[in-house]
Amino acid sequence: MSVWNPDNIRDVAESVGIANLNNDVTENLARDVEYRIAQVLEEALKFMRHSKRTLLTTQDVALALRVLDVEPLYGYESTRPLRFGEASLGPGQPLFYVEDEEVDFEKLINAPLPKVPREISFTAHWLAVEGVQPSIPQNPTAADSRNLELVSKGPNANATLAAISGVGNVAVKPLVKHVLSKELQLYFEKVCNAFLDESSEEYRTSGYSSLREDPGLHQLVPYFVQFISEKVTHSLKDIFVLTQVMHMAEALVQNKSLYVDPYVASLVPPILTCLIGRQLGGTADLSEQFALRDLAASLLGLIAKKYSHSSHTLKPRLARSCLKTFLDPAKPFGAHYGAIIGLHAVGGPEAVRVLILANLRTYSNLLTDALTDDNPRRPEAERVLAALLGVLATLREGHTSPLTNGHAAVLSDELRLQLTERVGDLIASRIADAGEVHLAHAIVTSER
Amino acid sequence: MSAPGGAPSPAPRSANIAGGGSMPMQQQQPMASTTPVGAPPQGTHQPPQSSAMSQQNLNQIVIDYLAKKGYSRTEAMLRMESANQEIDGRPLPPLGEEARPKYRLGFDLLKVWVEDNLDLYKPELRRVLWPLFVYSFLNMATSFYMHDAKQFFETNKNLFLPEHTDDVRALEPISLPEHVQDNSVAKLYRGNKYRIVLSNPAFSNLIQFLENKQKEGGSVMSAILSSFCTVITKERAVDDRFSFAAMLGQAGSDQFLPAEDEGIPGHHPGSAYTGDNPAMAGTLPRLKLGKLAMEPTLESDVRGELAESDEKEPPALGRNTLVQEFEQMIKKEEDEEGPSRADIPYPPATARDLAMEVQKVKENRDRFRIEGRTGGVGPAVSVCMFTFHNTYDGVNCLDFSDDNMLVAAGMQESYIRVWSVDGKKIPSTYDNVDGKQQQPSNSHRLIGHSGPVYAVAFAPSTTRTDDSIAPTNARWLLSSSADKTIRLWSLDLWQCMVVYKGHDHPVWDLKWGPYGHYFVSGGHDKTARLWVTDHIRQQRIFVGHDQDVDCVCFHPNSAYIFTGSSDHTVRMWAVTTGNAVRMFTGHTGNITALSCSRNGKILASADDQGSIILWDLAPGRLLKRMRGHGKGGIWSLSWSVESNVLVSGGADGTVRVWDVSGPAQDPAQGRVVGEGGAGTKIDAGNPGAASAQTSTSGIGKKKGKDVVVSPDQISAFPTKKSPVYKVKFTNMNLIIAGGAYLP
Repeated sequence: MSVWNPDNIRDVAESVGIANLNNDVTENLARDVEYRIAQVLEEALKFMRHSKRTLLTTQDVALALRVLDVEPLYGYESTRPLRFGEASLGPGQPLFYVEDEEVDFEKLINAPLPKVPREISFTAHWLAVEGVQPSIPQNPTAADSRNLELVSKGPNANATLAAISGVGNVAVKPLVKHVLSKELQLYFEKVCNAFLDESSEEYRTSGYSSLREDPGLHQLVPYFVQFISEKVTHSLKDIFVLTQVMHMAEALVQNKSLYVDPYVASLVPPILTCLIGRQLGGTADLSEQFALRDLAASLLGLIAKKYSHSSHTLKPRLARSCLKTFLDPAKPFGAHYGAIIGLHAVGGPEAVRVLILANLRTYSNLLTDALTDDNPRRPEAERVLAALLGVLATLREGHTSPLTNGHAAVLSDELRLQLTERVGDLIASRIADAGEVHLAHAIVTSER
Repeated sequence: MSAPGGAPSPAPRSANIAGGGSMPMQQQQPMASTTPVGAPPQGTHQPPQSSAMSQQNLNQIVIDYLAKKGYSRTEAMLRMESANQEIDGRPLPPLGEEARPKYRLGFDLLKVWVEDNLDLYKPELRRVLWPLFVYSFLNMATSFYMHDAKQFFETNKNLFLPEHTDDVRALEPISLPEHVQDNSVAKLYRGNKYRIVLSNPAFSNLIQFLENKQKEGGSVMSAILSSFCTVITKERAVDDRFSFAAMLGQAGSDQFLPAEDEGIPGHHPGSAYTGDNPAMAGTLPRLKLGKLAMEPTLESDVRGELAESDEKEPPALGRNTLVQEFEQMIKKEEDEEGPSRADIPYPPATARDLAMEVQKVKENRDRFRIEGRTGGVGPAVSVCMFTFHNTYDGVNCLDFSDDNMLVAAGMQESYIRVWSVDGKKIPSTYDNVDGKQQQPSNSHRLIGHSGPVYAVAFAPSTTRTDDSIAPTNARWLLSSSADKTIRLWSLDLWQCMVVYKGHDHPVWDLKWGPYGHYFVSGGHDKTARLWVTDHIRQQRIFVGHDQDVDCVCFHPNSAYIFTGSSDHTVRMWAVTTGNAVRMFTGHTGNITALSCSRNGKILASADDQGSIILWDLAPGRLLKRMRGHGKGGIWSLSWSVESNVLVSGGADGTVRVWDVSGPAQDPAQGRVVGEGGAGTKIDAGNPGAASAQTSTSGIGKKKGKDVVVSPDQISAFPTKKSPVYKVKFTNMNLIIAGGAYLP
């Protein structure tokens, strides 16, 4: 029950040479010692509190003793908390002691001086701007502060305040309804219908050009974005619809008077779907399918170029999704095709060299398998090969070969060998057949 | 001595009887003394002193007779029965082992009874348990029933933990009567009467119950009530605390908060009078909360200066000229009396004062205006956070200068460090100090204290502008430390100027007066002291707190100071007289921060249990309690210029913004919807509210702690693992916050 029992008192008494202490005395002393300890701790807690700490240090205890007019205990380091060792005296009788290392004086003197602790410094950041906490690295993320009770709950709580501070999943009805004028609504419907009109080419073109050029459509942007992603989700089998909404996205991005930046995040997923989706257009013609992927790739490239300044992570994110598909052998070749051209569109030759070339040797095995005569996937694989060669060809640009003069347009055996080493037999032979010496050099000399 | 009823022994019979009666308990003492030991058994011929005496003697005669006749069994029977009688023949209260005061039994009985009582009385009757618990425990401890006392304490302490954590912790180690004499909390309880307010019916109910159960411990409970408590009874109808609606409201909150007028200081709400004189009870001295009038010469100078700059740069369309702004600022509101300059002498104004006043007017005009809650949306405040790194928890306190150029940190390692906020080099005022060139750098160390530094404070200053007549930057810094001293540092020379000695123990907190010159400090020695910078001794000592004075603060007109203490009270003192003029009770934890609103009408105080309380100064009333911070201390509070928004920062690493004028009461009281009969309808007819309520309580239970966020919180901004030591509204209504990153 008590922390400090009479046995301890007896032990201490014996250690100072008092052998026979009365039982009553030990009992009383034990109680008193316990009380005094609590008293000292109570004072020490005050010092801790005023130091705005939550950890009691030996210095707090020393100061508390001083306040109580007792000589403090010297010899305890105050900079870090005490460490206690545990020794067992027997079953259920742990003994705790302060770990006190023995230090060799020689060694201590000769040891290099400890590192100077880092200087106290401070940084400033905005914890809140106009009542909203900006999401910058200096501020905790919503996930970090999930456990904190930040918003008032209950019947009296003000839901608006919670919504403004951005925490709490309070379902708030917007105070102001988003009002669209009749004309805009009409326009929206017309344009959507026009885009999806299979019968009239003119109708489609006029819709496209209107969306691309007309100012004053800003209110409709979220609705268009919504429309695009809806259509892509629901008509994955209809290559015509997919192509048309891609055009619509393009028109939106191209329209100079629209500010699409905030919507890029929601615009990208449908485009990626059209680029690296597993199955596009169901039974549609292969060339149509690949044409859609080409369109999506160019659109992605456009977006990457246009909006990378407003979002630093946009390009890496896009490239990562493409690369993931490219490296997944389970994906159909159509998806690989999309990934390859997508990577090129997003990152240019640099991405080709770093991301595609590095993985090409392994990938060519996959291709070689598919290119055997009786394989049903052969036509698709051919397209992928063509696309690969196409993007590899971009490596040639800007590469000035030291061997332009005096060498015929044939590959030396040595070069051929290196090339095979680099990109695998299949592609190497294709390059060699085409006599692309510069390209071969570019590939071989590009750093791994 | 043998128990009565032993074998009959003829010789010392009478002594035996008397002794037998007086043996077990002291209550019998009077009887023993009135019955002369060894008096002749045949006392009948003595004139009976009273009828009681004759009764006793009669017993003796009969016993003697029975002994003589040898009716030993009858004699034994008679002895047994007569031993338990009081002098006048009534049966005595039970004695012996049985006779230990039945604190535990009584308390347990009462506990059950309170819980079984009508919901109407439950909340108030629950309040009775705490004093009974404390006094029972202390009484048991003083009368050496240590084992019982410990057990009693252990079994019941959980009942009181949420509200009386500190007291429970302080009382827990008590195990000897000497400790009761020694322990400060115990002394407080034993030396004072606990004041408690009950409504009439509840009180009569209670007394009735205790009388009924007298034998089972009711008597000791009522003894405690009568000797250690002051029970004040009130008509139910007068006090709206006892209204049905308030009861209903209380049921929703998970914690029952003490009434303002309950507790040891025992005082009328707000009043600082704690004496016994009923005529004085509840007196509220008149306060002069108005602004301190400006010196007439300074005022005209300021006006001239402002007119000049108005001419130079006329204000934008629709804005006030500086002079107009100034008139508005110094305009006295009616029915508001300010202290006179004679009461609080200041040195004559200098050019610097003039420049500061001018700058204040300019800042006031150009500030970001916080107009209060409009359309349910709080003001959009901005917070700039300064996070200190690599501190290893060594920073004790922070302060930002009013000109926003400097930040000072008081360290555990006894030194103070001052940085420039913008990271630029601090320009030195004097080139050649001590014959050596000072190297300009962006920080300075001030070394001099010999103990941890617990408070630093910059003297008032205003933003330095190029066109001002005199430099208005911060020039002085005060610091207080565990070494019992306060030091004044010059920020021109970066040296210690004065050491103020006076406190007998560590100095916890200090604050400058609103115009400099004066400052106030509070410390471990339970006093707060008022100092003038040019005197090394204190000018006033404010004594009255029962525990350490943890934090202090000035009223903006510098006629009053506020102190917050570990005894859970906040007091307001008049500077001129040194007397306490208000006392505020209601906190359940140590007071960690105080701040008076800029209009001088409201005081905000925060405790380490996470609640902030607003007090209306003039009537001395609690305005509202704002909850939201986690436990562990709210280190700093600050008011906006308009006094309608409060910001707080604390150990839970959040900066929170509060609406002062928002929902008038906390959720507990705010839910008062109907009265009387309509009360039942609330729960039945409004399932939405009911379910919402249950869901909150569900959350509370799940988390196991009582973090309730009251609805007047405008927003909360969490930091990354950085306890916030200081928050401050600048004159332009930007919030500056400072904290240390503790990974």
